[in-house]
Amino acid sequence: MALSSTPAMADDTLPSNWKLSGFGTLGMVHANTDHADFTSSVLKYSGAGASGRWSGDVDTRLGAQLDVALSTQWSAVLQVVSEQRYNNSYRPQVEWANLKYQVTPDIALRVGRVALPVFMAAEHRKVGYVYSAVRQPTEVSGGVPITSSDGADLAWRWRTWDVRHTTRFQYGRTDLSMDATSRLRARRIMALAHTIEAGSFSARASAIGADVTVNIANALFAGLAQFGPAGTALADRYSVDHKRISLVALGMEYDPGTWFVNIEGGRQRSQSVLGTNVGVALGAGYRWRAFTPYAGYSAVRAQGDTRSSGLPLAGLPPMLAGAGAALNAGLDQLLMTRPEQSTASVGLRWDALENIALKFQFERVTPHRNSRGMLINQQPDFLSGRPIDVTSMTLDFVF
Amino acid sequence: MTLSLRSLSAAFAALLLLAGVLLDASASASELVVIVSSRSAAPMLRSDQVAAIFLGQSAQLPDGAVIAAIDQPVGSNTRDEFYERVASKSPALLKAYWSKLLFTGRGQPPREVAGNAAVKKLVADTPGLIGYIERSALDASVRPVLVLR
Repeated sequence: MALSSTPAMADDTLPSNWKLSGFGTLGMVHANTDHADFTSSVLKYSGAGASGRWSGDVDTRLGAQLDVALSTQWSAVLQVVSEQRYNNSYRPQVEWANLKYQVTPDIALRVGRVALPVFMAAEHRKVGYVYSAVRQPTEVSGGVPITSSDGADLAWRWRTWDVRHTTRFQYGRTDLSMDATSRLRARRIMALAHTIEAGSFSARASAIGADVTVNIANALFAGLAQFGPAGTALADRYSVDHKRISLVALGMEYDPGTWFVNIEGGRQRSQSVLGTNVGVALGAGYRWRAFTPYAGYSAVRAQGDTRSSGLPLAGLPPMLAGAGAALNAGLDQLLMTRPEQSTASVGLRWDALENIALKFQFERVTPHRNSRGMLINQQPDFLSGRPIDVTSMTLDFVF
Repeated sequence: MTLSLRSLSAAFAALLLLAGVLLDASASASELVVIVSSRSAAPMLRSDQVAAIFLGQSAQLPDGAVIAAIDQPVGSNTRDEFYERVASKSPALLKAYWSKLLFTGRGQPPREVAGNAAVKKLVADTPGLIGYIERSALDASVRPVLVLR
């Protein structure tokens, strides 16, 4: 699609079996709060709100992809994306880097870095041009930051009557460097996804499990562990140290062309601060000429504490009690990150040009039950339960 | 009275016929045929089967034979008409669809060849290919497997 439509450029710059394409989003977001940042991922440094009511960092990104056809059976893909990261840099990161072997027309094996097939939109959520809304709702994923794995995946296409099936199994690991000291490591990532397509209807069921270690708040857990059995129990309960995280999701979409409706639900479980939560998202839209008005609702609910009773401080010497109180406050801060939030949104997409879409979206985001929801950088005066109005404008393109 | 009724109904029938001819003429102006080589053994196809091949969802005919699609260029009326009829996809929706597959490593859009004559020649020469052209361009070198009115 990219260079194939401009053969002169392909001939001049790349061998004919190479293809360079790209995608990107220019976005501005406004949030009417000073108490936390609204953003698109927990792996962002900042967003709109406390860091400044307007932010270009929420949705702006640029991606480039190189596809190389080595033979009729072998191909390779490299995708690199630049966007704001946890350490506030836009340094490009490799999203995809894999070698594909087409065993038969319907069975493919890939080795390398492959995105996890968790949700309906998990693999293309960074390509704003391909969906109607400004961004994919963050509530269903419950803030699970693992999006790809380094390993292998096997995809098998088959059909029963007029229903097309794709079954995928993936195994791998991932290391994510968030900043100079924070790392996320996932081992034994296993994912199974089954997608069906029948006419205008499509659905995906998926399950994923991984052993996850995040070395965030290590000082807090080390401090807690010094407070005897009660402290050790709290540290074991909430630390993310070799904890198994599992996720199941089911999504459905009906899109006959002039309108669409979709629904998706997911449940994430873990014995850690990441907790157990259930998320759901609904969306619908109508396509009229180059315009697509749409609306959506999404919510996530944490099953478990969003604050802790913490260490028992009664009877402790004043100095120890002071240290214990500080640790309890730190633990409360951490538990606020367990997501509980609802979002209602309306928006309009305008397909202005062949490969450019403009979007305008308004949403009301409400964190609940002491949680900061999917917000980040909450300030000391942050209060859960206060709705935040978010306005987004984006320009999405592919080339 | 009988006569006038008869002449009225005759006039009405003539009018219907004329309208039919006019409608038919306007339809056949943009009638499309999905074609394979005249040497291909491909069976007649339904529009959803054709859509699956052109959308990269199936690389096989119902009888198991491997097949590859040949597209008309982006921006051509023939192409826009074709995807509107077989898949209810506007050019923008089709672009979004292929972007989704491309950037998730799941496929590339079909090879593009410009114009009815070029598509017909390539398909006629290669039994493993399937294309679409305007019906007016049809000849014995290719065989229609679906007519899109």
